[in-house]
Amino acid sequence: MSGTGATDPAALLLQRLQRLLRWRLWIQERIQLTEWQVTLLWAALAGFLGSLTSLIFSAFAEGVHEVLTGSSAGVVESMRHLPWWGCLLVPTLGGTAAGLVLLYGQRLARAQSSTDYMEAIAIGNGRIPVRASLVKSTAALFSIGSGGSIGREGPMVQLAAVVASMLGRWRQFTGPQLRLLVACGAAAGIASAYNAPIAGSFFVAEIILGSIAMESLGPLAVSAVVATLTIRVLTSAQVMYRVPSFQLNSAWEMGPYVVLGLVTGSLAPMFLRSLRQAEEFFLALRLPIVARLALGGLAVGIMAVNVPEVCGNGYSVVVQILNGPVIWKVLLGVFACKWLATMASFGSGAPGGVFTPSLFMGASAGYLFGAAVHAVWPVGAANPGAFALVGMGAFLAAASRAPVMAIIMLFEMTLSYDIILPLMLCSVIAYYTAKGIAGNSLYSESLKRKTAAEPDPDLAAGRVQDLMKANPPVIAPNARFAAIAEMFLSVRVNNLYVCDADGRFLGAVSLHDIKPYLGQPDLAELVIARDIMREDFPRIGPQQSLAEALGRFLGLPAERLPVVDPVTGRLLGSLSKGDLLLVLVEKRKKPEPAV
Amino acid sequence: MDLPTQFLAQPDALILDLVANSREAALCALHAELAKSPAVKDAPLFLHGLLERAMLAPVCIAPEVALPHARTTAVERVVIGVARIAPPGVGFDAEHPQVRLVFMVGTPKQQVEEYLLSVAAITRLLKTEGIRDGLLAARTEAEFRALLARGTKR
Repeated sequence: MSGTGATDPAALLLQRLQRLLRWRLWIQERIQLTEWQVTLLWAALAGFLGSLTSLIFSAFAEGVHEVLTGSSAGVVESMRHLPWWGCLLVPTLGGTAAGLVLLYGQRLARAQSSTDYMEAIAIGNGRIPVRASLVKSTAALFSIGSGGSIGREGPMVQLAAVVASMLGRWRQFTGPQLRLLVACGAAAGIASAYNAPIAGSFFVAEIILGSIAMESLGPLAVSAVVATLTIRVLTSAQVMYRVPSFQLNSAWEMGPYVVLGLVTGSLAPMFLRSLRQAEEFFLALRLPIVARLALGGLAVGIMAVNVPEVCGNGYSVVVQILNGPVIWKVLLGVFACKWLATMASFGSGAPGGVFTPSLFMGASAGYLFGAAVHAVWPVGAANPGAFALVGMGAFLAAASRAPVMAIIMLFEMTLSYDIILPLMLCSVIAYYTAKGIAGNSLYSESLKRKTAAEPDPDLAAGRVQDLMKANPPVIAPNARFAAIAEMFLSVRVNNLYVCDADGRFLGAVSLHDIKPYLGQPDLAELVIARDIMREDFPRIGPQQSLAEALGRFLGLPAERLPVVDPVTGRLLGSLSKGDLLLVLVEKRKKPEPAV
Repeated sequence: MDLPTQFLAQPDALILDLVANSREAALCALHAELAKSPAVKDAPLFLHGLLERAMLAPVCIAPEVALPHARTTAVERVVIGVARIAPPGVGFDAEHPQVRLVFMVGTPKQQVEEYLLSVAAITRLLKTEGIRDGLLAARTEAEFRALLARGTKR
């Protein structure tokens, strides 16, 4: 045997091939990526692409703004320099253009499903219609670029989620994987918009997924970090809100901070309710969409003639408030007008977000409250600017019903740790206050409505076949040892399924079993798949419940289980433990059906 | 020394200078001897498994050496039988017309690892210098067993 092996060129070639395979497998085994690691890589790519779309959207929005106002300055600054008729014309034109885009875009998009990324993640299948989303984002360019009182972060997050959805669909991800990737895109969008990777991750985890389990939070964090890094490398983005050093001047200040929590916790539900009422008001007018958006723009323009601060998302005004001092009477006027302007923009249906406007509401309310306390009891509120900062977080916590995200986001956006104690306390109080007043948040309202209308078929049924991935790698029972080794090199699995010519599942060959024998070329000629397959390899039927599937995985090192038809014995696909865990994590906290 | 290698050093059945005129005859003769082992619980099933496997793919590992094997519920531990066929040997397939040494292995169905250990131990044994020629030339059973024991020592 050895003599022949040493002289026969074919045997020598086989030996060399075996040696090569052995080394390749050795290397692959050490750097072999698990399914979770691969998920992290896709999450990173989604983060990178999401940040690029955010940058592109910002650039376009600024371009539209420059064309409409003739100024490259900030929204408030541009509006301040426009004549009165310009203040009226620009938002009206922007609303008209956004309405036209939506009107004609609907014909182009023919969208069957919602474009809402939150819906796609939380209760959908992760598929976001691309054309409909592009139409909505294009319309948002006009409403934002023309000074609408609306945030640009909404479309940025939407676009980042769309790109992630496209990526996942291209790679034929399963439902849970696709939903997670879209969530990663959304986290990247938030992180890009606010330069806040931790808050970006927690925003999606806490608000949309309702879970901070590592199965989902890990990929979200990776995506958000990559997005933030990309933004920092490609732009000069730094801390979003540069603030002076705030500190707790006296323990007595905690008293007013508690009251501030109650105030913002009461204001936030009122703010949200007013937005919904404005929406109902505009719909009741029964105007065509173009006229409705133009009217919303006109309403903003009318206020902008005297109070240009109402335009845009309120960022520049928040910076002014935080860096104070500001005249409280002026701020009170701006606060009231901004509230009305946001109602006009949001209510008329202008595409955009209300996240940043919420920050403005919180900062204004906090500053006004701090100034009032300072006036009657200076020790209780030494610096109203600090109350503005805490008010932002508290209002956000109350409006979004996500206090953890709000605290983290405020900290990330300001990098002001000194204020963390009142911020935490105030946010939690505001959260519970708002929760006691009204059960709905900025985001849960639409999700609840949609959950009731369109229950997720995958989760309602909860069957293995819903999560199963078709066409897993298989080998024939008489496949040679060398062919098995090659197969293990070409596909990233730890178990190869053995099927007969009719596709019936016979068993599985484990990489763990054959690993020690790759150095023995003699086995290559002798051993076939049938010799080493495990006939008792666990399998699961397509109709079995997800709970049963989880039970099958318990105590099993395998990352996938073959799905086998119990009648014919045919291999139908495979079920990933990762997918199963993701679905269970998602199921753990679904929005409650609407009452 | 792992268990399958120990079984190889002291096989459950040994036939020297077996006279057979076909692969099936050789397999049946060695199987009949091996079936005497108390570890073989279902001899017909074991034989069926051996023949079925031999039909599915070649079982020869060298021009003169065959390794018929089966993972089967018919045995309750690894069983190994060795036969030396009288010259000129028997043909196992077109490429192996003169097989002289037959190592028959039965492994319990669940024991994939033991199966691979057994097969690997036999191929290692036959690679050891002088062992294969020695096994073919051994004049007595004691001499043959001594060579097996020497070849399986690490």
